[in-house]
Amino acid sequence: MKLTLGYFYPRELNLYGDTGNVEILISRAKARGAEVAVEEITSVTKLSSDAMRRIDLVFMGGGPDSGQQQMYRDLLEDKAPHLREHIEGGKVGLFICGAYQLMGHYYRSADGSELKGLSILDLYTQHFGHAQKRCVGNIVCALPEDLLTSPAFANCNLTGSHIVGFENHGGRTFLGKGTLPFAKVRRGFGNNGQDKTEGAHYKNTIGTYLHGPLLAKNPHIADYLIARALGVEKLTNLDDTIINNAHAALVKRFG
Amino acid sequence: MYLLLILLTKTANRFVRFLGLGSGLTWPGHLALKLRPHLLRELASRLPAQTVLISGTNGKTTTAKLIRHLAESQGMSVLHNSSGANLFNGIVSCVLLGANWRGELPYDLAIFEVDEFTLPKLMKELTPSVLALLNLSRDQLDRHWETDLVLSKWLEAVRGLSTTSHLILPDFQAELAGLAEAFSGKVSFFGETEDNLNGTSLRGAFNARNVNCALLAAETLGIPQALSQPSLVGFEYAYGRGERFTRQGRSWQILLAKNPESLNQNLQLLQGGGVSYDTLLYVLNDNIPDGLDVSWIYDVSPRLLRKASEGKRVYVSGRRALDMAVRLQYAGVSISPKAVQADLPQVIKAMASESAVGEVAVLPNYSSMLEIRRALLGRRIL
Repeated sequence: MKLTLGYFYPRELNLYGDTGNVEILISRAKARGAEVAVEEITSVTKLSSDAMRRIDLVFMGGGPDSGQQQMYRDLLEDKAPHLREHIEGGKVGLFICGAYQLMGHYYRSADGSELKGLSILDLYTQHFGHAQKRCVGNIVCALPEDLLTSPAFANCNLTGSHIVGFENHGGRTFLGKGTLPFAKVRRGFGNNGQDKTEGAHYKNTIGTYLHGPLLAKNPHIADYLIARALGVEKLTNLDDTIINNAHAALVKRFG
Repeated sequence: MYLLLILLTKTANRFVRFLGLGSGLTWPGHLALKLRPHLLRELASRLPAQTVLISGTNGKTTTAKLIRHLAESQGMSVLHNSSGANLFNGIVSCVLLGANWRGELPYDLAIFEVDEFTLPKLMKELTPSVLALLNLSRDQLDRHWETDLVLSKWLEAVRGLSTTSHLILPDFQAELAGLAEAFSGKVSFFGETEDNLNGTSLRGAFNARNVNCALLAAETLGIPQALSQPSLVGFEYAYGRGERFTRQGRSWQILLAKNPESLNQNLQLLQGGGVSYDTLLYVLNDNIPDGLDVSWIYDVSPRLLRKASEGKRVYVSGRRALDMAVRLQYAGVSISPKAVQADLPQVIKAMASESAVGEVAVLPNYSSMLEIRRALLGRRIL
């Protein structure tokens, strides 16, 4: 078994410990006996279709404005077709916060200016200015039925039917008809603080506002991504006593 | 009005202390600012001519204490917010509590450490003779969002700073170079050399930088390094920042580690043999002063976490003990579920019953540092 992770823009987009997700994917895949390789894809990486095809799982985190400015042009001009092929082809991806927003149609700033996205996910994001509260805090969501009943998920080390994490975003995201939410908000803001949706789930790609070490707090999501990326139905169980305790305690405290 | 405020402040301070509600070092200022929002501006003329402001993500309390130590060694009297209360209310409390009943501030020097986000607002009220900026890294991102934002506010403040002020900056953080260009007055730089730690009780690369900054600040205050360097020998760590004491027959060293940079630096010190310890205690809280978001523990080097834990007993506590335990586990540190307990007194009790625990290095974040001091020393701050 070999798992190749494509870690996009590790330096530009790594706010709030997002890199922990990569650490966790490596750790949990290796614990299942997989050989793991990490390809760091940066603004100077010239990505070929062949190189992209070797990648099983794409990870891209959120970044500060300065970081997003550094990679934005490269993303649109160089990486966009490869990411589109990856996602549309049903391969696995995890996009957090800023990266999630960029997979949509556009990001409209408070001053009305628009930043074009890749339009892979049917969604858009708008910042309504500082009159509207920034979406900051602990968040707990319920996973939808379709995810919970999918074979890859059902056979994972299922910690529970919820996810828990922390969100911190000024932009509010609205999903189009072509995109399902990743989860349903129980406590927190999620995509926009209005419609109770959180993130997006399209084919085998997940976009979410739960930043930082999402996978540390939610080992079932990590295993779901790994199982999908390896193309196996069942992963062996790990000793997740402390990890499961952490997940349960956080869901209880913040849910 | 001013004398009345002093009376009010001193009374409030005693009242708060008497009732055991805290150290009473922020409430009085809070009250006074409610009555006079620009009180600090009004008081600025009464402050000593030499006023030092110190800001940055890490090292503020230690560096301020160092400068005070160097100044006092030369016989200067110093007004200083030594409790680390570094927001407006803490600084105003310090000034009012430091005044005598005639309203005078009879000091040769004032030293204030200032929260990095508060600094630009504070500089609108008060012009320092020396402004020392130590460093800037990620801290409490749920409150400050991005370091870029802090830096842009600093740039604005430095642009407006009087040219009679003296700016002190690190020569090793490229991101801060723009501050020197933005300021038209005199700028000096401190470096990373560890030579000045020789013969002192201070350890660690981060403390070397703090010392270098303090020596430079002292020099701009008229104390030449030849005079100040020898007096470093008698310096004792600021509370919770490397302080060491014996309790319950064990030695404890408290190493405040409240963001990725400060935890990395302390782990570097531990694994490099700079501290003698057989047991490690991590304490992670998510109270308001800590920031609610503990995601930053994944910005800490897993290699350093593993190295510092090798061959040591590891305990984990705090409101986010389980998050920290998971983080350590993914870094490759083996943790027994029994060694993980949110309740700090319980963990201390468990450690007390373990004879192999002799020298404990504690890595707490901010509010948990206060809690461990209360649990072991009976007081949170000074």
